[in-house]
Amino acid sequence: MAIDKKLLSLLLLVSSLSSIASASFSDPDSDSDLTNELASLRSNSESGVIHLDDHGISKFLISSPTPRPYSILVFFDATQLHSKTELRLQELRREFGLVSATFLANNNGSDLNKLFFCEIEFSRSQSSFQRFGVNALPHIRLVTASTAKLSDESGQMDQSDFARLAESMAEFVEQRTKLTVGPIQRPPFLSKAQISVIVAMIVIATPFVIKRILRGETLLHDHRLWLSGAIFIYFFSVAGTMHNIIRKMPMFLQDRNDPNKLVFFYQGSGMQLGAEGFAVGFLYTVVGLLLAFVTNVLVRVRNLNVQRLVMLVALVVSSWAVKQVVYLDNWKTGYGIHPYWPSSWQ
Amino acid sequence: MAAVESLPPGTPSAMRNAFGTVLSALILVLIGVLAFSIRLFSVIKYESVIHEFDPYFNYRVTQFLSKNGIYEFWNWFDDRTWYPLGRVIGGTVYPGLTLTAGTIWWVLNAINIPLSVETVCVFTAPVFSAFASWATYLLTKEVKGSGAGLAAAALLAMVPSYISRSVAGSYDNEAVAIFALIFTFYLYIKTLNTGSLFYATLNAIAYFYMVCSWGGYTFIINLIPMHVLLCIVTGRYSPRLYIAYAPLVVLGTLLAALVPVVGFNAVLTSEHFASFLVFIIIHVVALVYYIKGILTPKMFKVAVTLVVSIGLVVCLIVVAVLVALVASSPTGGWSGRSLSLLDPTYASKYIPIIASVSEHQPPTWPSYFMDINVLAFLVPAGIIACFSPLSDASSFVVLYIVMSVYFSGVMVRLMLVLAPAACIMSGIALSQAFDVFTGSIKYQLSSKSKDDAEDNTSTKNAPKDDASSGKADKGEEVAKERLSKKGKKKEREPAEKPSVKSKIVKKKALVLPLEASIVALLLLIMLGAFYVIHCVWAAAEAYSAPSIVLTSQSHDGLHVFDDFRESYAWLSHNTDVDDKVASWWDYGYQTTAMANRTVIVDNNTWNNTHIATVGTAMSSPEKAAWEIFNSLDVKYVLVVFGGVIGYPSDDINKFLWMVRIGGGEFPHIKEADYLRDGQYRIDSEATPTMLNCLMYKLCYYRFVETDGKGYDRVRRTEIGKKHFKLTHFEEVFTSHHWMVRIYKLKPQKNRIRGRVKKLKQKTSSGVSSKSVKKNPWM
Repeated sequence: MAIDKKLLSLLLLVSSLSSIASASFSDPDSDSDLTNELASLRSNSESGVIHLDDHGISKFLISSPTPRPYSILVFFDATQLHSKTELRLQELRREFGLVSATFLANNNGSDLNKLFFCEIEFSRSQSSFQRFGVNALPHIRLVTASTAKLSDESGQMDQSDFARLAESMAEFVEQRTKLTVGPIQRPPFLSKAQISVIVAMIVIATPFVIKRILRGETLLHDHRLWLSGAIFIYFFSVAGTMHNIIRKMPMFLQDRNDPNKLVFFYQGSGMQLGAEGFAVGFLYTVVGLLLAFVTNVLVRVRNLNVQRLVMLVALVVSSWAVKQVVYLDNWKTGYGIHPYWPSSWQ
Repeated sequence: MAAVESLPPGTPSAMRNAFGTVLSALILVLIGVLAFSIRLFSVIKYESVIHEFDPYFNYRVTQFLSKNGIYEFWNWFDDRTWYPLGRVIGGTVYPGLTLTAGTIWWVLNAINIPLSVETVCVFTAPVFSAFASWATYLLTKEVKGSGAGLAAAALLAMVPSYISRSVAGSYDNEAVAIFALIFTFYLYIKTLNTGSLFYATLNAIAYFYMVCSWGGYTFIINLIPMHVLLCIVTGRYSPRLYIAYAPLVVLGTLLAALVPVVGFNAVLTSEHFASFLVFIIIHVVALVYYIKGILTPKMFKVAVTLVVSIGLVVCLIVVAVLVALVASSPTGGWSGRSLSLLDPTYASKYIPIIASVSEHQPPTWPSYFMDINVLAFLVPAGIIACFSPLSDASSFVVLYIVMSVYFSGVMVRLMLVLAPAACIMSGIALSQAFDVFTGSIKYQLSSKSKDDAEDNTSTKNAPKDDASSGKADKGEEVAKERLSKKGKKKEREPAEKPSVKSKIVKKKALVLPLEASIVALLLLIMLGAFYVIHCVWAAAEAYSAPSIVLTSQSHDGLHVFDDFRESYAWLSHNTDVDDKVASWWDYGYQTTAMANRTVIVDNNTWNNTHIATVGTAMSSPEKAAWEIFNSLDVKYVLVVFGGVIGYPSDDINKFLWMVRIGGGEFPHIKEADYLRDGQYRIDSEATPTMLNCLMYKLCYYRFVETDGKGYDRVRRTEIGKKHFKLTHFEEVFTSHHWMVRIYKLKPQKNRIRGRVKKLKQKTSSGVSSKSVKKNPWM
């Protein structure tokens, strides 16, 4: 077996050497060679995203004459920034790979070699970043066939273009290059093997579950579980969490004037931030919970002073919460109600 | 029970009961008056008119119904809308509202009260909100007794969310549907509590009325099966549950299929499948319980394995059939609106026409404060009260609030379904809180006075009964209702046992300190007062505007903008009866109802392509738009423009949706062409496509003549292109405040005459025909 492997690697080596040789010996200006080389690089890389460095950039983009036979979509990556989750670099990179894979799957023939998906990593190709004039991430740039200067920013993908991830990236590409990417093919959430295992487990488990249901011993018979579930869903909804999920709102924003300060509350009624929603959802919920506690639990307590103390706390907290919500609503929406007194009273 | 029975059956308690009944009736009448009168602000502040958009269609249908009778209405094909397609009104409309108002009108006329159809339509919603609050009383009474019922009814009578859809003049489906929804739930709970087939039948009929009234009936037909399933899973199955559910599914589905707009959807779409699945499950479970009853425990164990395996096989087969059915349809058999409830991001991705409607947006937290106000604080307490103790009825209302609060989080429009649930919960919470606080005050005051007079040991029992008498009354009522109905002994026993237990618990003095109770009571009353003030304010200020007449308060007094009616009147007086008017779909219903002219698209957005065609025309340059409109026989184009007076919901602000919807069907319209760097602007930075599209030209034609600069007061900027001429359209009418502008399509010039001219020119000057302009309009 070992011999086999060695043989195989030798063969690979020879073939790659020969391909390099052919690439270097042939006319470097020839467009079709560059395209072929990109295509072969692509076939060797995962989901068709070519990893370029400074050398590759100068070879494929700078030294080649302008109208190039291909466009290149460049994803600017930086491993040192992967820890900053708010940039969503890794997520965007995955989506970028998805677009690339979809493009590969949906195109064959001549269109396939008109667009290449590439990525550049900051720590290994800083000079390319400077050439492109990129100083903020995330950044995706389309270098079209006719783009002469790399610092030309017209090919930059807007924030809004990757807001809806792969779908909007594909739209951007389709719009700019007049090529078709096609519907994004996401890998299924569960593979077939996993699904079959799960189905099998469910089938095996059903008789046992039914037996327990008939006996009345499941978690489902626990009132406290249902109660806390109901309260949680209530909290979840009045906090406007669905709004945050649908609109993909962040938990908080950075203050534009002072980057160290964080903005938790957004003024204006059409929008809310995540933390803001949870804070108000908590205020909404806590009053009812305290009221329920007083009327259901506290009445059973025998000690008068404990009752007094707890009620005092409950009343103060409740009225504070109501006041706070009214105040916040006032501030956020400019809501101001007034009672209608009889005109003779005024 | 012991405590209640030990009371002497003499006159005082009977008197108290009678007094309580009369007082409750009086309170209910007052609540009805409140519910009706709080909705009259729109009539007092404005006038007795139909509001907004959809109500105008319903009004027109009601007019037709009252004039031509029910059979004509059923077969009505309307050629005044969706030209040239037309619309089968009888088969595509939920007839509940129009039939209700038509019947009211007919009855009133029959007893010689000559009200106009419009007046009946205007006041239908307030009348039905009074009914809805009474239905809430009945429902909550079934769950937690009449005290909670009264509180919930009073809260519902003025909950802002419901007011927003049922002010006088808001003649829309929701006006009667909310009543039908609550009443159906009440009858379901009533059947569940009594096990009476009579109520089960009524329930099916109420459900039928709901199906007639509103597409939201799918909420009922999914919520009730969910509750049944919940009861089964948590071991609460009883014959009462079977009687409450099985007739509803059978009769209800048959009746629902009678409504033309639903028809076979009642058995074919996925929205209804849950009810059938649960229908099968409840039969399997009923069989299991039946076999359990006739077999010995040992035999039963053997039988269980048999039944379970057969039941599983049957379930699997049904599920497989359902899956196959569902998979064969592209959207999985679900309508777009329902799908966007399950997957909230669905609509924004795939159906711009649903996503474009503002009431389909997810709400933020201030919406809850605006729409249910302080109820949002009380609901958790109500949920907890429903769990102590948990009954079939209270588990239903808990499920109702949980489902509705989740759905309201997805679509702000469904806040309307949440409102009754929130009122019921808050009513329960308030009533419980008042019970405890007033009870402890009463107990301590009386025990203090008795302490002074007598020995305290002998009197300890009496005040306890007093303190818990409110609760005992309610317990008694519920228990009485259960006892009075014919039922097997087995059913009765579990109903009695918990009440005996709870009485024993109540024997201990459940009181809170006096002064704290008084403060808490005062705070609760303040909270209630705040709610009332908010509701009256919301009814008077926020929700009373008819949006057909606008007003604005400025330093020099009140301004009234009656441009819409002015322009519709102009259309009906100055155009031919068969002329076609094109506008964005928002104004379709109003144009047909008020101007009696044929429109291309209207608010019943059933044909996306047709709407996209109009959207495309509005986003195209003049000539292309002229061609599209001409091909649809359009004579007039109507645009709504708010730039002069600062009316924000005008066509320029809606324009991006026209582009999106148009672009969805006709790919040559691209949203990006209308945006400068992703921003929508109409000033000098606007894109040439934007500045040359029909909508821009029709809105801003001669606009610069108003102030000399062309300053748009909605967009707060000067417009980009100020001086231009129209080539294919001519202005025929602009309303007083420029809000509505009507343009006529210029007639195509006679080609033969042009050719004659050409010939003449040829003969006179000898110019070759090539240099003559091809455009026949120039």
